[in-house]
Amino acid sequence: MSKHTLATLVAGLAILILLPFTQSNYGVFVLCSWLVYSISAMGLNLTLGYAGQVSLAQASFMGIGAYTTALMTMAGVPWPAAMIAAMVLCFVIGFLLGYPALRVQHHFLAFITLAFNALVVLMLRNEEWLTGGTYGIVGIPRPELFGLQTQKPLAFYFFVLALFVLMAVALYAIIRSPWGRAFKALRENPIRANSLGVDIRKTTLLAFAIGSSYGGLAGSLLAQLTQFIDPHSFGLTISLKVLLMVIVGGAGFFFGPILGALLIVLAPEFLRFTEGYYLMIYATLVIVLMVFCPTGLLGLVERARTALKLRQNPNATTWEAGR
Amino acid sequence: MTPVLSVRNVSKSFGGVKAVDNVSFDVHQGEILGLIGPNGSGKSTLFNCVLGQLPASTGTVLVDGKEVAGKPPCDLNKLGVGRTFQMLQVFPEMTVLDNIILAGQEHKGTMLSRLFGKPDAGLTEEALRMIDFFRLGHQTHEKAGSLSYGQQKLLDAAMAFMAGPKLVMLDEPAGGVNLTMLADLKERLKAFNQERGATFVVIEHNMEFVMSLCTRIIVLANGRIIAEGDPETVRNDPTVIEAYLGG
Ligand SMILES: Nc1ncnc2c1ncn2[C@@H]1O[C@H](COP(=O)(O)OP(=O)(O)OP(=O)(O)O)[C@@H](O)[C@H]1O
Ligand SMILES: [Mg+2]
Repeated sequence: MSKHTLATLVAGLAILILLPFTQSNYGVFVLCSWLVYSISAMGLNLTLGYAGQVSLAQASFMGIGAYTTALMTMAGVPWPAAMIAAMVLCFVIGFLLGYPALRVQHHFLAFITLAFNALVVLMLRNEEWLTGGTYGIVGIPRPELFGLQTQKPLAFYFFVLALFVLMAVALYAIIRSPWGRAFKALRENPIRANSLGVDIRKTTLLAFAIGSSYGGLAGSLLAQLTQFIDPHSFGLTISLKVLLMVIVGGAGFFFGPILGALLIVLAPEFLRFTEGYYLMIYATLVIVLMVFCPTGLLGLVERARTALKLRQNPNATTWEAGR
Repeated sequence: MTPVLSVRNVSKSFGGVKAVDNVSFDVHQGEILGLIGPNGSGKSTLFNCVLGQLPASTGTVLVDGKEVAGKPPCDLNKLGVGRTFQMLQVFPEMTVLDNIILAGQEHKGTMLSRLFGKPDAGLTEEALRMIDFFRLGHQTHEKAGSLSYGQQKLLDAAMAFMAGPKLVMLDEPAGGVNLTMLADLKERLKAFNQERGATFVVIEHNMEFVMSLCTRIIVLANGRIIAEGDPETVRNDPTVIEAYLGG
């Protein structure tokens, strides 16, 4: 990591620490949602952006994580245990959902994961004895940390921020490790990877499992943030929203999903003045971006930077220019 | 001595087409075996059956005397068999260095150490040596997809060697590679063979390349072995000449 990157990261973290103090309770709530959705999108970025496996089921994992955490904490289980259980459960279910990916790819896989999401929402709605059906669950407690209550928005924000940083660092470590290289190889050329000793089955299943566990944690945090959950919060539209975050920000770029989540969480706030036209404007912006830059915003930044450096130094290789 | 590779009565049909028809041969330690034959004679299909890429219809394959039929390609690689495909196969969005490290990392440590250990699996130095060996040193940090076709072919071959395999099977390594690089590639392969005792099976249409590289040659036509012997014998064999001329 260069000095430049390190300085940017420190500055970014400083902003994240100071920003909530300038915000109303509502502003802090919006920031929390951004971080929570970022965690979910980071997970999907691993599955989709790095390992190349299409999934339209990320919201269902958020749902499984949210309900697991809600039910367990309300039954008196300590919150750390409940949150870890939510992640582990999502890891296991994500691992199993990876099996279809061993046989089909692309749009077929999209349909299978989409069907899975629908199935989870149906179960959340129908198993009323457990989930409260369409009414959902209210009064989910927020965690208490060393005797410190996170009931207040600011305290909870820092709890979410800490987990966000932890999960980002973990993801960064995974992507840099041989596992990350195997994920990228799976995306780029599974047959060649297999012939070089990469176990394609394990790699595919793990890509789903890890990505899903990120969804599970995000769901856990969402349940504590809103303190109310219902099946509607984890439907297909939410899966599409998380997918959009990854794609708009730049799939396969580390900061892509974080940027994407920022835009998509904040867009409704900024476009509120347009009232009824909000969705139309939003959809148009997304279409324009996808047509002109399918690699997302960070893809656009990378392209611009390379072009600029090449103009300054026409003899540079694309690598030198891309740095 | 047990052969490094033993192919026994392998056949492969696609629908009605017998692409490989009851082929048997052994490859011994230190050999460079050439596999030649007209287009469509079943060379690549034979490779794919041997390496677990395709299930053979019948027959068995032994590596170091151990049965490997039904094993997936990654398991064969772990047993020390490297390969290239006829169609160029690199990871275009990954750097040359990452391509090469990937080719070695699955042979280092365990699943867990590959997650929690060093990001490069301790392979950077060895990878740089391999990259230099194939004269790609000035491209180390370039994306593989930005290299010329010939350089990508070299990278592809280099990956097959990264795990220190005892047997390497190359499907048309010289295809589309320019003359200077070709001489270079041949020299590299010979060096691997002599210095590390690696055994090769090479499919190639470039006769000069095959004749000057290989110690023994097998000729395939319509899925069957029609001739076998040292380069000189094969070159003068009337059945071989006929198979090529007759198409
Ligand atoms: N996947 C497949 N499905 C159907 N037929 C196939 C398949 N792969 C190969 N064949 C057929 O099997 C025969 C042998 O093909 P193969 O690619 O093994 O030949 P080859 O000797 O490698 O030829 P070349 O020198 O052109 O690479 C051909 O008739 C080919 O059309
Ligand atoms: Mg072929």
